[in-house]
Amino acid sequence: MKPQIDKDILELIEQQPNITNKEIARILSLPENMIKERLENLSDTRQKVLIVDDELDALTALKRALEAENYNVVEAADGLSAIEKVKAEKPDVVLLDLMMPEIDGFEVCKRLRSDPLYKHIPIIMLTAKGDISDKIEGIEMGADDYVTKPFNLHELKARIKMVLRRAQD
Amino acid sequence: MFTRQSRWNLYLIAVVAILLIATIVFLGIRANNEVKDIVEQQFTSQQLLLNQQISKGIEEFLNEKVLLIEIISKQESQVPPDLFTSYFKTIYEESSGFFSIQFINENGTVVSGYPEDDLPIGYNLYENNQSWAFERVQKRQETYITGGVQMFEEELGSFTWVPLFHEGEFKGAILSIIKVSDVTERFLESYGSSGHVYLVDKYGMILYDSSNELQIGNQYSDLKNESNLQQIAILQEQINGTEGSGKYFEDGRGGERIVTYSPIGWRNQRWSVGITNPVSDVDSLINSVYVKQGVFIGISGIFILAGSMWVILLLSKWNKILEEEVASKTREIKQSNELLMSANVKLKELDLLKTEFVSIVSHELRTPLTAMKTSAEFLKEDNCDSSVRLEMLDLIIRNIDRQTRMVSDLLDISRIESGRIKFNPVITNLHEIVNLSVKNMDSLSEEKGISIHVDLPKDLPHVRTDKDKLIQVLVNLLNNAIKFTPQGGNVEISSAEFNDFIEIRVKDDGIGIAHDLLDNIFDKFYQIDSSTTRKIGGSGLGLAITKGIIEGQGGTIRVESMPDIGTTFMFTLGKQLH
Repeated sequence: MKPQIDKDILELIEQQPNITNKEIARILSLPENMIKERLENLSDTRQKVLIVDDELDALTALKRALEAENYNVVEAADGLSAIEKVKAEKPDVVLLDLMMPEIDGFEVCKRLRSDPLYKHIPIIMLTAKGDISDKIEGIEMGADDYVTKPFNLHELKARIKMVLRRAQD
Repeated sequence: MFTRQSRWNLYLIAVVAILLIATIVFLGIRANNEVKDIVEQQFTSQQLLLNQQISKGIEEFLNEKVLLIEIISKQESQVPPDLFTSYFKTIYEESSGFFSIQFINENGTVVSGYPEDDLPIGYNLYENNQSWAFERVQKRQETYITGGVQMFEEELGSFTWVPLFHEGEFKGAILSIIKVSDVTERFLESYGSSGHVYLVDKYGMILYDSSNELQIGNQYSDLKNESNLQQIAILQEQINGTEGSGKYFEDGRGGERIVTYSPIGWRNQRWSVGITNPVSDVDSLINSVYVKQGVFIGISGIFILAGSMWVILLLSKWNKILEEEVASKTREIKQSNELLMSANVKLKELDLLKTEFVSIVSHELRTPLTAMKTSAEFLKEDNCDSSVRLEMLDLIIRNIDRQTRMVSDLLDISRIESGRIKFNPVITNLHEIVNLSVKNMDSLSEEKGISIHVDLPKDLPHVRTDKDKLIQVLVNLLNNAIKFTPQGGNVEISSAEFNDFIEIRVKDDGIGIAHDLLDNIFDKFYQIDSSTTRKIGGSGLGLAITKGIIEGQGGTIRVESMPDIGTTFMFTLGKQLH
């Protein structure tokens, strides 16, 4: 859906380099601020982090911290919307909470790893469960790293950097 | 069918059995014969004893009679003028047994006697050629007794001749006649036995026979079959005057008989009394003993059998009782095993629940900590602008509150589950408590545009309950009602009065709960839709604590709900009765 909009906007700009946001909005019959958002998004060169957590406060705190580190942060509150967000936003890294209703973190990880388009996206699992068996399961599912809640923010940021660097290599 | 070995074994067993049976039969017959011999001996000696007694009786009787006559003959120096008639009368009347006593003078003529009827006075022995005995006593000068003599009355009589001498001169003889039948009537006919008794004199003449009277007067040997040597031998012994016993076979009827005999010595005469009894009497005696023994053994057997049966019945009854006991014990053990197994399963389930509980608690405690820690670390290392800082601080405070609530809920549930929860019951006005609780929820209800109606009768009786805990219950139920009711919905608090309790109802027109989920609604950490709950915030312990508080004070709590229509929670409180 969103990639299609982005495509349409880019086509219009290509045809008429001086076209205003207002005109694009009129032609595509979309709200003007959305066109603005899409364009900002397209011009954003920051690395994109998707945080998946059903705990809103935990998500917000992490989001603010990562935004301060100059990451482009997108969020999802459950497993299904996490998969949607991955497809729509193509994040550079996914921070995935394990315990979530409906589809848990393991399932999200499994689904992403089985899709050739997204299986390269690194995943860091975040969980309040400290069991070794959970850790092993997470790694086996294809997670790139595993961090136990509550984590040290400094450490998490270092791990994100490491995962991203490894992905670039 | 049988192997060679087992066939040989069978033969062996058969032979041994036959030998055993033969031995038993042989021993039985021998024992029987010995018993028979002994009994026969006893029987014979007893019969002989009786025989001797009878003989002795007759002998004494007869000799006494002779002696009496001899005393007369010796007493008088010469023939008295009444020719002994007075003597004869006295003797005759005082000593029974005489048939007739007569005096015969030296010429052989009967001159006196007693009794006087039919007395042959004047009868001369010489004239009638009957003088041989008279002549004999005259010649030998001693008493002489004739054998059985046929008398005028066609009866046998015994004649005792006692000579009378005076100064060596023969004066005649006293003849006393004793009827043999008198003797036999007196001594033998009273013999009451199954056997026969007979009397013979030394010539073998039958004087009496209880078996056949026709033989009286005849010679025994003439009448008996000469071929019966045994009997003849016995008769010979009797004639010889010996005493003893024997056996012979009776002709005609063919039975063997035991015979005993004992002599009677009567001056020159010798008689012999014989008694015979059939050997079959001995057999019947033995048989009667056997019959008695058999009856005794039979009755004993029946008693033993009945006793054994009784014991067997008793034992089998005991056995049955024992079996029943064992069966019931087995059942009990099985039941207790099943109970233990189900208890074990329950314990395992409880253990699983406990593990799950710990896991959930750890998650629930870590989650706010994570938010707080991330925020705090972020604040520490970054110079963020004031709005973000404020947001972070709010977040930290919110999560501290959440953590506090969680810890206090956990403490509550722990107290409830361990029974350590303390109630402080006081007389409580429900209006006051309900209003306080509703006021508590004001901000939340206003935020969602939900109106709370209180519909309690003015005269609602007081209850006795813990005020703070009742507020906790109401706040919890109201909180739930508001949480699960969409914007603009309604929540209503009402009551119903019963005999000794009051029911409070908290009703909403919210999303409701599916019927199959109602059963677990009071369980710990049971959240129907975690995402919804999380969004709304809650520990998942609220209803479990509510139930614990209500039931801990003797009340009950229940829930009715229809999806999309609404939910009603109802709990009871004990009335304060005066």
